[in-house]
Amino acid sequence: MSRVIVIGAGLAGLVAANRLADGGAEVLLLSKGIGGLQLGQGTVDVLGYNPQRVTNPIKAVAEVAAEHPYATIGAQGVLTALGYLKELVPDLLVGDPEANYHLPTAVGALRPTCLAQPSMLAGNLKAGSSVVVVGLRRLKDFQPELIAGNLGRTELPDGGRVAARAINVDIAAREGEIDSSGLAFAHAFDVPAFRQQFADLLAPLLKDGEIVALPAVIGLKDRQAHSDLAAKLGHPVFEIPLPPPSVAGLRLNQALNARALAAGVRMVSGVRTVGFAADGDRILNVRNATVPAEREYRADAFVLATGGFEAGALAMDSYGTVTETLFGLPLVGTENTPLIHGDYWGAEQPIFSVGVGVDSQMRVLGNGKPVYANLRAVGDVIAGSTRWAEKSGDGVAAASAVLAADSILKEL
Amino acid sequence: MATEGLEFAGHSLSRASLDACVKCTICETQCPVAAVTPLFSGPKYVGPQAERFRNGESVDHSLDYCSSCGTCTLVCPQGVQIAELNSQARAVMKADHMPLRDRLIGQTVLMGKAMTPVAPIARAALNNKPIRKVMEAVVKVHADAPMPPPQSQTFEGWFRKRPTPAGPFPRGTVVFFHGCAGGYFEVETSKKSVEVLEHLGYQVLVPKQGCCGLAQQSNGLFAGATKDVLKLCDDLRAAGKDLTIVSSSGSCTGMLKHEAHEIMGVDDERLKDVGTRIVDMMEFLLDLHEAGELPTNFAPIGMKVPYHAPCQLKSQGIGKPALEVLRLIPELEVVDSGAICCGIAGTYGLKKEKYDVAQAVGKPLFDMVKATSSELALCDTETCRWQIEKSSGVKTEHPIFLIHRAYGLS
Repeated sequence: MSRVIVIGAGLAGLVAANRLADGGAEVLLLSKGIGGLQLGQGTVDVLGYNPQRVTNPIKAVAEVAAEHPYATIGAQGVLTALGYLKELVPDLLVGDPEANYHLPTAVGALRPTCLAQPSMLAGNLKAGSSVVVVGLRRLKDFQPELIAGNLGRTELPDGGRVAARAINVDIAAREGEIDSSGLAFAHAFDVPAFRQQFADLLAPLLKDGEIVALPAVIGLKDRQAHSDLAAKLGHPVFEIPLPPPSVAGLRLNQALNARALAAGVRMVSGVRTVGFAADGDRILNVRNATVPAEREYRADAFVLATGGFEAGALAMDSYGTVTETLFGLPLVGTENTPLIHGDYWGAEQPIFSVGVGVDSQMRVLGNGKPVYANLRAVGDVIAGSTRWAEKSGDGVAAASAVLAADSILKEL
Repeated sequence: MATEGLEFAGHSLSRASLDACVKCTICETQCPVAAVTPLFSGPKYVGPQAERFRNGESVDHSLDYCSSCGTCTLVCPQGVQIAELNSQARAVMKADHMPLRDRLIGQTVLMGKAMTPVAPIARAALNNKPIRKVMEAVVKVHADAPMPPPQSQTFEGWFRKRPTPAGPFPRGTVVFFHGCAGGYFEVETSKKSVEVLEHLGYQVLVPKQGCCGLAQQSNGLFAGATKDVLKLCDDLRAAGKDLTIVSSSGSCTGMLKHEAHEIMGVDDERLKDVGTRIVDMMEFLLDLHEAGELPTNFAPIGMKVPYHAPCQLKSQGIGKPALEVLRLIPELEVVDSGAICCGIAGTYGLKKEKYDVAQAVGKPLFDMVKATSSELALCDTETCRWQIEKSSGVKTEHPIFLIHRAYGLS
């Protein structure tokens, strides 16, 4: 059996590892921490703005500019990846690739996203509906007055508005704690008795026909927690993802990790991959910064899923020189100087489009040809998109990972 | 006094990583202690956050509830040495009121030496409820906490008395490090490790060896621990230069590889030499397999067993080598516990005031073990095995037991 090493445990790394293992490869996943997926919203954004609000992401993917990663990946690549993601975690991600949801955020804006968790779907609001945003007094990261206020004054994508009001409930996630994290509440909501206690407090405060908005803390392990609570209340309920620690992000991270382990992926985490050896155009091995002596891992193919600047995969020094920090790969987008301009409220900073260029198999290009025949790059390290502004990061990550994995499997 | 305590190399090293913290909270979500009790405010709060306010004084006494499992450092995507910072700060916090109990339970060699000659009596005493209640009241070791199983013969006694293997030794020579527990309590693990190594064709040298100081280190007794770990380095180096040192004591291996340096700031060539040469038993076997040098003529073992990778093994950044090696045994189904920690964290779970926290930490693991097998569970480190066995009721052994059996040695 051939071995493939995937470096990085975010969405791109986990999707690539799963896909490779499913295809029969022996997969070793190397990661510095446990991946940043749990810092996110637990949804899959494909394309939210181009720069107008996108309603059909697949249609919009087919129309991006030539330097955008989606131009290389193609709409079919995205469709395949979304189908695969839904198969990987069927009880956690649902959605139609051809229609974005517009889900309320923790500041009461409407965020376009493509796949979401079943517990969030009642937040895809229709004009004329009534929403009650329920805060937990002991959870400071969720302010119902702010959310309801903004939600009430927002025009829905299809026109029209919703009526929104805010209420608060005081319940202790655990005894003796006044200021609890979302995670402590999630553990509490995993327990049916706590859900009953909460429902008993909340039910009398609800008005007929109201849709209940809650922070996304309704259980971490118990996938029935949301539907059980909705049934107890007799109202539709939806979750709004919180800033980290994001329980919705944690659910997705845990589910994809568990799926990878079940598929036989071997994981070595907690150590940064810092070096490599190559023979001509082939990578032979990578080295982990294990202390006190580095460890070497050989493989037939490698997938670079190390992320962007925030993950340390790309770095800029004090001279303004940008580098890919593991393999020293050639970068595109560095010609747009200055990479950082001083108008911080102005146009997009050119630095955020910097990354590696890839071909249709996600091999990294230098002078128009693959730098290493057995190295693919996936996810945020790929140049050409400003993923947080256009909300494309998850789609690029998943689709590039599937394309890279499939092309490796064909070669092995 | 307190300020002096923080002025050592290890602390400067850890503190240098402080500003890399971006407050992402990943450590908070993975902390096994904060998940089960509000008594510990979490690794980010007492670690990188509180560290900024520490000027020789402790600002958050909930720090004492950190179990030093090291999970926070392991999962940090930015390389912040959270666990190390906390261990250091706690050593300073406790310096002027170190409990007698914490001094005593760090003395692992003393415990072994005292119990071995009177093993049956010691065993009975440790299983005797009234005696344990007295122990709990006097030295504050919880009456229900798992205790090391006293043995009538030490590993050293067995090793010296048995007929010396005649060889030949086609694979050369390795040094075996058993640790205190492997010398006095987990004697079978050490024997089986040596027998597997010899079966593979290695000559095994066992120099007289002392304690690595881990139990003292985790209780904040850095001076004693430093003395012990360097003495141990001398012991192990005396067996021969450049030889690979194999250990079946996962936590002591971690102490030699990185904890003595990173937590206590021990900066010594002898430690570096030993730390670079020492490998975990299962890591050693996996390395052999990767090199195509491990015989895999294993006899089938038709069993389903739960396996738990201990925190101090995970912290070594080598993954879970036991899982990979055990998968080579036909018909054996090994199920990864997926649990973060068993709760014991060395001596943490023995302490009267922390026993309930440690039990809550380990509960998902105990449930998983019971649901997977009533016969046998596997885990690489001693105190974790005692904790799992005591709390789940399932016999818990080192993975080498099944390798030994699959090679037809038992």
